[in-house]
Amino acid sequence: MIVCEQLTKNFRNYEMDPGVLGALKSFFHRRYRDIVAVDDFSLSIERGEFVGLLGPNGAGKTTLMKMFTGVVAPSAGRLEVLGFEPFDRSIAFRKRISLVMGQKSQLWWDIPARTSFELLRRYYEVESSIFEQRLKHLSELLEVEHLLNIHVRKLSLGERMKMELMASLLHEPDIIFLDEPTIGLDLVAQRNIRAFLRDYQREHGTTIILTSHYMADVHELCERVVLILQGQKRFDGTIEDFENLLGTDKFVSVEFKEPVDVTDSIWRPLQPKWNSDRTEVKLLVSDDEMRRTVSEILQTFPVVDFHTGKIPIEHVMETLLARPELVPLGKE
Amino acid sequence: MRVLKKYLHVYQAYFAMNLAQASSFRMHFVLVILVDIFFYASSLLSVSFIYDHVDTIGPWTREEFLFFVSFMLAIDHLHMMLVAHGYWEFSRELRTGDLDFKLLKPIGTLFPIFFDRVRPGSALLIFVPWGCLIYFGVQAGLSPLSWVLLPFLVVVAFTLAVSIQILIAMVMFWTIESIGINFLRMQLQSLSRWPDFVYLYFFRKFFTFFIPVLIVGSAPVKFLFDYSVWQPLALVCAMILLFFWLIRVFWRIGLRRYESASS
Repeated sequence: MIVCEQLTKNFRNYEMDPGVLGALKSFFHRRYRDIVAVDDFSLSIERGEFVGLLGPNGAGKTTLMKMFTGVVAPSAGRLEVLGFEPFDRSIAFRKRISLVMGQKSQLWWDIPARTSFELLRRYYEVESSIFEQRLKHLSELLEVEHLLNIHVRKLSLGERMKMELMASLLHEPDIIFLDEPTIGLDLVAQRNIRAFLRDYQREHGTTIILTSHYMADVHELCERVVLILQGQKRFDGTIEDFENLLGTDKFVSVEFKEPVDVTDSIWRPLQPKWNSDRTEVKLLVSDDEMRRTVSEILQTFPVVDFHTGKIPIEHVMETLLARPELVPLGKE
Repeated sequence: MRVLKKYLHVYQAYFAMNLAQASSFRMHFVLVILVDIFFYASSLLSVSFIYDHVDTIGPWTREEFLFFVSFMLAIDHLHMMLVAHGYWEFSRELRTGDLDFKLLKPIGTLFPIFFDRVRPGSALLIFVPWGCLIYFGVQAGLSPLSWVLLPFLVVVAFTLAVSIQILIAMVMFWTIESIGINFLRMQLQSLSRWPDFVYLYFFRKFFTFFIPVLIVGSAPVKFLFDYSVWQPLALVCAMILLFFWLIRVFWRIGLRRYESASS
């Protein structure tokens, strides 16, 4: 469904020193800097997959999405989406994809979303009766029936994002590209959007490519993740394999009744992360050491609560961003 | 036919959306109408004022010249109502990356870029330029055939005017900032509001064959007065084809340059 080989995108920026002198100097002499946003990137995605693209800001995720949708032209490499070359921008291709960007809107701000949807119906040539059915179905699922005739600028961010999702789904695309769809939303709104996307994908078997900085999005929705660092693919595999990248150690969170001694030797091998008043710590403990370590902590310190579990995906991500050498190039 | 129907359907939706939007800002709606009326009045009165002091300008009498001005007002009216907002929006969309969504729509992308903003307030004023055209056409003694040809020639002239301006707007892919380009566009539009014979020889040739703004109004109006002057009108048609082709070429090159602002 999506195949890219050695895909590369270069941008050219220039640097400018601050102040009047900097502006004048830059006017006459540009200091150009070539940036490789996506570097020799190969990937294959099958029909019906829900794939998460992970990476820090500037890693190249959005650029990749824009190349997949034909918005920007690749500098080099081969790319095929649904059998089309995206930058050819054929009408048939554009009818079968959709892009949602959490920080941009395709809806007109000064009119109700319902009116913008009508325009989309005409763009995508959806029959009126089918369009009404889909509109009703989606608005019920997203619980926004009562908001369809409200001006978009009057909607909350969460409500607007639901409308953006509706706008992208009314023509039932084969592939949906979601670029940070939950950015800036509160926890409840994030959860609602996630639940909707999960149900929608199960119902329709649509291929969805998601980028998000919220690991909860990726963890709950994606079967497969692709890690991108500095434009290069550093990991491509299942979410379970990604979570186990740092090993199978368990994550232990312990809460104390009062501040404890952080210099105690017990903590040293456990990579402790303390809160500011030393009443809570997060530890990494191997399976073999679990029983002994927990028992020692319980006996030595005034513990009021503790939890164990797999290493959270956020921790894996944080560690990989700090130490990218842990995932060498080409790891799958 | 199916494609044409689709474009008409989409355009209906644009009109409905712009009407809905315009009705949300009532003061602005009224102000736009007043500004348009002021523009029409000042254009006609400035020429009328000159004729208070001279009998003819070039070969034309007061009535013929005012018919020409009305012809240009009819083009300006279409331009203000249908396209004018699009040039400013195009630059904003290039800078902010909002162009992305338009690029994804399954329709010829230039259509939503330049034609999705309609000014419904201007539509209400259609009787002003067309009323003037009819009034001064009668005064100038237009023949029956010229009356039949008049609406078609307004559309042909409008097509050339828009083609020139869209091609100039393509330069925004390189400049990104639009003020210079939009002012250039508007200055060229101002030049076309006077008949070609008021300009000096080289100036006239340059703005006839290189940037053909002077034939936008002069060619069709001369033809309406005298059918033997058909060559400039043929040039208008040729230029429309040439500019369509150039727009296509520069659009493809421009799109390759488009980087889309990061989100």
